[in-house]
Amino acid sequence: MIVVDHVTKHYGHTVALRDLSFEVPAGVITGFLGPNGSGKSTTMRVIMGLDAPQQGRATINGKTYRELSSPLHQVGALLDAKSVHPGRSARNHLRAMAASNGISRSRCDDVLEFVGLTAVANRRVGEFSLGMSQRLGIAVALLGDPAVLLFDEPINGLDPEGIRWIRDVFRTLAAEGRTILVSSHLMSEMALTADQVIVIGRGSFITRGTVDELTSAAARDVLVRSQDNARLAEAINAAGGTTSPGPGGSLQVAVLDAATVGQLALRESIALSELTPVRASLEDVFMELTASATDYTSSAGAANV
Amino acid sequence: MSEPAVGAAVRSEWVKFRTVRSTPIGYAVTVLLTIGLGVLITFAIRSHWHTMDPIARFAFDPVSTSLAGTLFAQFAIGVIGILFITSEYASGSIRATLAAIPQRWRVVVAKVLVLGVTTLIVSEVVVLAAFLIGQRIYAGVVPTASLGGPGVARSVVLGGAYLALLGLLGLGLGLIIRHQSAAISVYTSLLLIVPIIVILLPSGWQNVVARYEPSALGRSMMSVSPSSNMFSAWPAAAVLAIYVVVTLVVATVLLERRDA
Repeated sequence: MIVVDHVTKHYGHTVALRDLSFEVPAGVITGFLGPNGSGKSTTMRVIMGLDAPQQGRATINGKTYRELSSPLHQVGALLDAKSVHPGRSARNHLRAMAASNGISRSRCDDVLEFVGLTAVANRRVGEFSLGMSQRLGIAVALLGDPAVLLFDEPINGLDPEGIRWIRDVFRTLAAEGRTILVSSHLMSEMALTADQVIVIGRGSFITRGTVDELTSAAARDVLVRSQDNARLAEAINAAGGTTSPGPGGSLQVAVLDAATVGQLALRESIALSELTPVRASLEDVFMELTASATDYTSSAGAANV
Repeated sequence: MSEPAVGAAVRSEWVKFRTVRSTPIGYAVTVLLTIGLGVLITFAIRSHWHTMDPIARFAFDPVSTSLAGTLFAQFAIGVIGILFITSEYASGSIRATLAAIPQRWRVVVAKVLVLGVTTLIVSEVVVLAAFLIGQRIYAGVVPTASLGGPGVARSVVLGGAYLALLGLLGLGLGLIIRHQSAAISVYTSLLLIVPIIVILLPSGWQNVVARYEPSALGRSMMSVSPSSNMFSAWPAAAVLAIYVVVTLVVATVLLERRDA
């Protein structure tokens, strides 16, 4: 289990994490969501003992990372796939990493095989595509057969095939009972891979739950088409709903649900040609959750406030 | 737990050290400069010997002149040390290194052992070769020295030690500065610019300060009888070793404290 306990981290005057606390339960895939610049990578670096927080601490199975000896046997991480000396071969990079924690050379060959890099193992990493580098990074993370794995934005910059491959890898690793924390700024990606998500924004904890829980908690709109939108809108507003013009001459209704809108139409004797509950998209939910917590809101977004 | 962990760190650093091109290239340049320039310099002295000033002939040191190539090779050696750490900062792989070995001082100890021992072995062999080749070139025309002569073996051994210490100085500076080009600038400034600044000082100060310059320490270490205003060989080696230790201690403390 990973515990982030009241962590505050600032770089100079820039506050990256404010009193951030959460727990990552063992044995499941936890998505770590937040807009760009929300502090996901900083959190990962704090967990890995690379950056020291000014307050609070992060522990893995009760110990801070820097208290671990031979940590690759307990925690594997892919923080930045391109962080490899470009002049070294994939195999030699793995061997150097393995040697540091007393891991055998044959294990290097095994993980190369697992990520499908055996054929290019002797090529210099500088010649690798991003997808190949991601595979190498995952191989490094798996070297010590750790029970805890951290992946920072592993999907970024991958082609569809690479994305599918990484999803499969996550499922395989999760099925083996490992604890996986994977960060992303894409909620839709987390809906496909994560059992539950933790959402942060501007370095602060926002919420956690399964993707379904987060989506159903979000407001749902109703799309309605009728012979007299103007009169229907009046009735809806009178009943406490709000309306706005929807696509193709429809009416988008917020606050009221589809059943209420239908009853209002019946009472007013307005014939409906369409009545559709619009489930909020994952991205809408995510935007809603983090809207107040994004550092850089576009001018269009600002106008709505 | 601590000793095998350091051993593992050493094995890891050794794999890293020998699997990048900059290491063999750096040592090849070291060999080329030490021996190649040694050959050029000793040949030049041999051919001018009969027209040389009698005082210069009297003060002539066949040992240090045959080892003069080290004063050029010191730049190649320093760059090997600097690249050994700054390449990790440039690529970002320092984070992988520190994630694998979170007891950061072990990384420094391992790098010092790998770089120090390798450079010492290479330098001792190369300096000995430069000495022997130089004496061969002098033979018959210019007075020569033999390893059995007073202070000769010491000069040769300390010549190799000088290069190894400078490699470690480069490593320490690289670890403190973390940027390759900045570290190389500081390193070359220490060896080239500081002596020029010393020359500009009033002569009273100059006599006190000049002997502390790294390259002056190197000349003291490699000369059979250093001039009176310089350190003699072993104290010069001790002063240089203190520079290196202080630099590495500061580097280790910073590495432990700073965010990676």
